[in-house]
Amino acid sequence: MSETIHIETTINGRDRAFEVAANLTLLDVLRDQLGLTGSKECCVVGECGACTVIMDGIPMNSCLMLAVEIDGRDVITVEGLATDGHLNALQQAFLDLSAPQCGFCIPGQLMSAHALLQRNSDPTIDDVNEALGGNLCRCAGYLQITEAVMVAAKAGKE
Amino acid sequence: MKEFSYERPESLDEAIRVLAASGSDVEILAGGTDLVIAMRDRYREPTVVVDLKRIAEFYPSLVWDGDTVTLSATATMTEVVDDEGINRHFPALAEAAVVVGSVQIRNRATLLGNICNGSPAADTAPPLLVYDAIVVVAGPAGIRRVAIDDFIVGPGRTNLQDGEIAIALELTVPSRPLGSAYERMTRRRGTDLASVTLCAAVDDAGITRVAFGSVGPRAWLRVDETGVLADPDAPAEARAAVFEGIFADASPSVKSLRASPDYRRAMLRVLGARAVGRARGRLAEVRGVS
Amino acid sequence: MTSNGLVGSSPNRVGGRDRVTGAQQYVADIHLPNELHAKLVKIEEARARIISIDTTKAAQVPGVRLILTPDDLPHPMPRFGPQYQDRPVLAVGEVKYHGEPVAAVAADTREAAEEAVALVQVEYEALPGVHTIDAALDPDAPLVQDPSSRSGDPFAYSNIRTEFNFGWGDISAVEGEADYVIEREYEFPMVTHFAIEPHAFIAEPDGDELNVWSTIQHPYLLQKILAKMLDLPLSKLRIFAPDPGGGFGGKQHAKLEPLVSYMAMKAGRPVRLVMSLEETFQAVRRSSTRVRVRLGLTSEGDMVFSDIETNYLIGAYVDIADRVAGKSSYVAAGPYRIPAVKIVGRTILSNTTPTTAFRGFGVPQITWARESTLDEAALELGIDRLDIRRRNLPEKGFEFIPGDLPADGDWSQTVDKAAELIGWDTPVPEGRGRGIAIGLKSGPTTGLSYSTVRLLVDGSALIFCGTSDMGQGARTVFAQIVAQEMGIPIESINVIMGDTATVPFDQQTSASRSTVLMGTSVYRACKEIHGKVKTMAARLHGADEVDIEVDSGTVRLTGEELPIVDVVREGLGPLGGEVIGNGEMRKEKEPDHPLAGSAAFFEFNCTAIEVEVDGETGEIQIVKHVTVGDVGTALNPQQVKGQDDGAAIMGLGHTLMEVIIHDDTGRIRNLGAIDYRIPTSKDLPLELISASIENKDGPGPYGVKGISEGSLLCTAPAVGSAVRDATGLVIRDLPLTPQRVWEAMRERDRA
Repeated sequence: MSETIHIETTINGRDRAFEVAANLTLLDVLRDQLGLTGSKECCVVGECGACTVIMDGIPMNSCLMLAVEIDGRDVITVEGLATDGHLNALQQAFLDLSAPQCGFCIPGQLMSAHALLQRNSDPTIDDVNEALGGNLCRCAGYLQITEAVMVAAKAGKE
Repeated sequence: MKEFSYERPESLDEAIRVLAASGSDVEILAGGTDLVIAMRDRYREPTVVVDLKRIAEFYPSLVWDGDTVTLSATATMTEVVDDEGINRHFPALAEAAVVVGSVQIRNRATLLGNICNGSPAADTAPPLLVYDAIVVVAGPAGIRRVAIDDFIVGPGRTNLQDGEIAIALELTVPSRPLGSAYERMTRRRGTDLASVTLCAAVDDAGITRVAFGSVGPRAWLRVDETGVLADPDAPAEARAAVFEGIFADASPSVKSLRASPDYRRAMLRVLGARAVGRARGRLAEVRGVS
Repeated sequence: MTSNGLVGSSPNRVGGRDRVTGAQQYVADIHLPNELHAKLVKIEEARARIISIDTTKAAQVPGVRLILTPDDLPHPMPRFGPQYQDRPVLAVGEVKYHGEPVAAVAADTREAAEEAVALVQVEYEALPGVHTIDAALDPDAPLVQDPSSRSGDPFAYSNIRTEFNFGWGDISAVEGEADYVIEREYEFPMVTHFAIEPHAFIAEPDGDELNVWSTIQHPYLLQKILAKMLDLPLSKLRIFAPDPGGGFGGKQHAKLEPLVSYMAMKAGRPVRLVMSLEETFQAVRRSSTRVRVRLGLTSEGDMVFSDIETNYLIGAYVDIADRVAGKSSYVAAGPYRIPAVKIVGRTILSNTTPTTAFRGFGVPQITWARESTLDEAALELGIDRLDIRRRNLPEKGFEFIPGDLPADGDWSQTVDKAAELIGWDTPVPEGRGRGIAIGLKSGPTTGLSYSTVRLLVDGSALIFCGTSDMGQGARTVFAQIVAQEMGIPIESINVIMGDTATVPFDQQTSASRSTVLMGTSVYRACKEIHGKVKTMAARLHGADEVDIEVDSGTVRLTGEELPIVDVVREGLGPLGGEVIGNGEMRKEKEPDHPLAGSAAFFEFNCTAIEVEVDGETGEIQIVKHVTVGDVGTALNPQQVKGQDDGAAIMGLGHTLMEVIIHDDTGRIRNLGAIDYRIPTSKDLPLELISASIENKDGPGPYGVKGISEGSLLCTAPAVGSAVRDATGLVIRDLPLTPQRVWEAMRERDRA
């Protein structure tokens, strides 16, 4: 086993302290050690975005980060979007617009979209396509996904 | 990923000491967007990984001091793209940084890492060459400054020596009015590695600087001092002849998956003309303002 | 979306909530106690003779529990496949394609398994292989499959796997009526599915039983294959098939489940294998094709004959590729009235990734050739490209393929709608071009779908069926059918799938069949419940059953209408319980039919495209993309649009950018997401319109036809047509990358 390192972090609003092996990616640790399997593994080269998480407000590919790099940081995964079982506006819009088909890319799409809306509450469709440009979807052809983000943005304003 | 020991120095001195103690099987971790892939695929199997992100001297990552901006080793592509001064004074760098990977990649990948990684296709290399960036290197012997053209050596190779860390890039706003633009060719509109990268800058003395990459072992800088490229009314043949000279060293690989040598050579000319055209336009704007 | 969940509405996707919270469990998300992690041992050759496999060093890695080599498997090596039992569990003696596993390691951790895989020493001798049609057909070509395994097969001593012959009429008799004959050849490259979920498998020995989790589309076919290989009764082999994260045909048939099963039984512990995306690329692809079309027309543009030769380069093992080739060749002449048609198709084995079903099932490849040739003919004859198609389109009810299902829609409506939406009659803006094309695919030719619907005492319901919901939304439409027929809210319905010990048999989830076939089964289960409810109502109300009607949630007695659920609650009495309905939908084989079965329906699509082409770089911008399908009834319009949008963009992928690239020895050079490009959100058309024609004339419940494949059938020829219109360039190979378009422009400028 590789060197293990003690880290303290906040994941989905909860403070956590645990040991991680230096040579594991954040994605590995989220999925296999913490049981947060919402973040998905596909390309593991930062092309598909299925593993996207938000660290300190910024979306990143968890497959390209060492787990130890979240020490002292605040991480949100797809599991952290809903509050007490209530979907947030973005999740609700995804559901309403039938954005998920197989659903495998959706956690990553949601994280990228969530980060966008945190930063820009009034995005244009080009902003959305850019923000989600690193999240591949093979089912939906993107339109119902980007439409859902626009609907959520509008809902957020009202 | 093979086992390694993880070091996270909090000062530059500590980092230099850690490097000195770590021998040659050491890798520097900044954004990690290339390194983590290489380690997972076992192309690189370091015994020590030194993470630069807690080094106090690197923050803030982007600092303007008069006409000079210093981008530390932790400055991400997103920070470059979002900086107003960079967009105003080095627009081609912003244009190059904004097409590096996806949002997620740009939030992580660093400008300096893009150069240290030594990829001939690095998007930011041509603008940094055109803008005469300086790489600041720290090592056991202290700090040295290297012109970017000397820093870039070849595929995967830089002028960095064992025990050294590239700690910053410095860019100084040109004294003369300058217009510049960045162009690239890809296989799709979405995120892609470029098959041709090109940056052009035209100044008010009629000197045109053209840097291009992805068509040989490294990105090259060439300068047209004849004034032909800067002249919107220059005859097409004259312009073609100048480009011929500028791109003479282009040697695109026949093995590339991304585009054929013929196509790359042809696109150098197309992108060259487009970038020079846009650069001239920007120069006119700059002059109009000043 | 507020919706009553009834047929024709678009309620929230059943299972959608778990998909937006991250709670949805895919195979790779499932962990079993005491499980081992498996990794595959492969060599970097497309064809090689294996001399030895030394596992000594690998076995010493801490945590390694099992290294399986061919010597550890039964002799002779067990083989399997949906059409021919030709695929070995592990490569035996010879690696026949790049990435074929030669051994596998199982260890306590993924890292230990990886470490060990790197230490397995495989000694081998590289052998020359074939990976193009020309190389495979060369008389001196090395044979991909051992002739001794093909005794009695006339093609055994060649790389031709199978030859198909279809057609009608006599070309030689009508040839003289053609004023104009055109002959063209078109190529379609190798592309891969790239479902975002890589394939994953888990096998768990459980006493004398075996449990297998797989990303499979057809759990019951997998069960049949594994039971036979492992000599287990079906009842002892339980397949769990959680909703796949995208299938597109790539997950239809068994791949590494047999290997993982043997490993688990050998180890006596659960073994999981989660493939990488790169390995998934090495497991599935679409057949590449070369298609020659010779078309005879009158000077007015009426089709006289069509003479088509289709060549499908398939992989080293057949998988379902023969069926793909046969079924798509059969409809190669398209949805046109043609007096004489001759189709010769062949599958050609090669040392490449085994090819399998992929959305469109061979039809996109054929359609690219046929529609493009038709386009070239129209241009040469000076006939409008829309008109030439319109004038040859069969009327509804016309048996355009003699002996098969007649034209099952008013297809001119579809074509007209596409033409209208693209503005075919309006001037093309400067610098742009428009194109139009038609695609037709046969639906399923056989089928068997059972279902059970349990209407519970509280008015909620459970649906049990063996369909796989891989994103197409099967759960939702079945729930809609039950909501409609039982008069209950869709939120109170649960759909259970993906467990062969729980849900009744279903043949498969493919060919856009589920809404029609399983939908009919579920509808019939509801009808059985209606029958029982009628008996119940008669008892409760002292009425005669003939005076009672039960339909769409309502029980109609003389002078009274009651909700079904009220009657059921009362009828079940104090003990409660439920009313159970079973449904069955069968489409039997037709032994005399060339495909052993006529089409249950046709998927008919018309795609129209407007492009702009960059004259310097060759880049294509899709300005407008219109796709119109004849869907019969849109049971769930939002999901229909989602399927059509998705297929259209997938079609743009193989049209504009996707291609598997091999080196000279047949190794894949662009494995993975960096150099195999699929469309991103930044590659969309500036405008995409997915529209439907609804005449309620399909064979499924409420008049539905199958959808889901239609809008990628003819994307490529529509784009090709538009590029031709914009530039005058005729390009007969895909993808239409900037470089390819630029090369064509250079060629033209030189000429």
